[in-house]
Amino acid sequence: MNATTEIRYSEIHKFFNRRHLLNRLSLSLEGGTATLLSGENGAGKTTLLRILSGLEKPSECRVDFTPGEPGSNPQPWSQCRRRLQRQVMYLHQQPYMFDGSVVHNLALALPRTMPRLQRGKKIRQALEWAQLEALKEAAAKTLSGGEKQRVSLARAWLRQSRILLLDEPIANMDRESQVRTVALLRRFKNARAALMISSHNHEVFCQLIDRRLVLDSGKLSPAQAPLLPGNVTPLARDGAPSGNAGNASR
Amino acid sequence: MDLFEATAQALVLLAVFDPALWEIIGISFRVSLTAICIAIPPALLAAFLLAHLEFPGRRVLISLFNTLLSLPAVVIGLTVYLMLSRQGPLGDWQLLFTRSAMVIAQIMLAFPILVSMSHAAFQAADQRAWETARTLGIPSPQAFVMVVGEVRFGLLAAVLAGFGRIIAEVGASMMVGGNILHFTRNIPTAIALETSMGNFAQGIALGIVLLIIAFALNLSLQYFQGRGKLSL
Repeated sequence: MNATTEIRYSEIHKFFNRRHLLNRLSLSLEGGTATLLSGENGAGKTTLLRILSGLEKPSECRVDFTPGEPGSNPQPWSQCRRRLQRQVMYLHQQPYMFDGSVVHNLALALPRTMPRLQRGKKIRQALEWAQLEALKEAAAKTLSGGEKQRVSLARAWLRQSRILLLDEPIANMDRESQVRTVALLRRFKNARAALMISSHNHEVFCQLIDRRLVLDSGKLSPAQAPLLPGNVTPLARDGAPSGNAGNASR
Repeated sequence: MDLFEATAQALVLLAVFDPALWEIIGISFRVSLTAICIAIPPALLAAFLLAHLEFPGRRVLISLFNTLLSLPAVVIGLTVYLMLSRQGPLGDWQLLFTRSAMVIAQIMLAFPILVSMSHAAFQAADQRAWETARTLGIPSPQAFVMVVGEVRFGLLAAVLAGFGRIIAEVGASMMVGGNILHFTRNIPTAIALETSMGNFAQGIALGIVLLIIAFALNLSLQYFQGRGKLSL
């Protein structure tokens, strides 16, 4: 995966139910970094992630796929929706499994043109990567929440997704499944993928994340409350001025 | 002839595979299966777009299809008749009183049912199926096929309901088919004719066939609707 992976969003705005759910936000996602997104229920976290991944139409948003490069030009969201859907992987809180086995669900992440032998090899690697070998023939719809999440991460791995947006990925999971999920996310991060995780369960991610952002009243700001000392480093680019980000880093 | 005698004769006709009777049954199935097969692809696409796309007039269209569900078959028959009659806009096609005219009328009858019920199935389908397919980089046409596969039981129920309606309708087939023996006489039009001629045995025999078809369709419908719930 590419170390320079980066995407920049600006002017993210969503007017919904007569209120500014997201109010002209700016956000960058960088390869090899993990961002924890928190906020009250209904603050707009899911909406934000869905806009970033091209699944939900914003009132306004601009996207720059090559920020910082000469000639880079932010495009309106509507013009790059398909590109966002291809490049940014959104993982639902409860991942969707199609009818069929785990292997079938993994195969969906591979190009149809890929030769059969190569497909088989890739799928075996993915099963091993996500520790799903024992479940490869199981009906995917019958898996537990944790197992489904691992299948969905294995699909992202097969897709070689460089940007992952995860909506409450460990909600309703037992401790063991949480640890396994976080371990897989760490492997993504080590492979220079950009992660953005929306979660209320901050403690589980404290060893993984580089920054915390809070979505409140339509605005993004670095988190004020400390998570665990020494584990979170600042990336003072988004939400608030860099001076505040220093306070928020811990 | 009393009812019991007529029914006994009808059962005999069915049991000995009376050629005239089975010819009528064959015409019915040929016409209705052709109509439903032609109607399915555009109806599914229309239902999918109504369920997944936001565009002006979408709700009006949904209401329109729901309203068309209760349109009497004779009104469809009249419309098709006027279109295909010599003075009509499609008069040059010379399709009136042919099986093609019956197919056209039955497509128009089945289409609103297919759209309305398929729309409900797509609406009830999990939005995540489409979104997951798209984020997996699957092109829209293939993603559409995948979503169809996920709601297949609901869609099958729609197809069975549509087929049930057109195989049993009499008004439109009578008007645009003309009830011509060996050519456009199907089960419902034959029942109407035989009854008016006092030939109750054949009418009851065809009625029994229609009843068996209706029972089989309803049984299948119950089964697939149940499976549809499970598939969500």
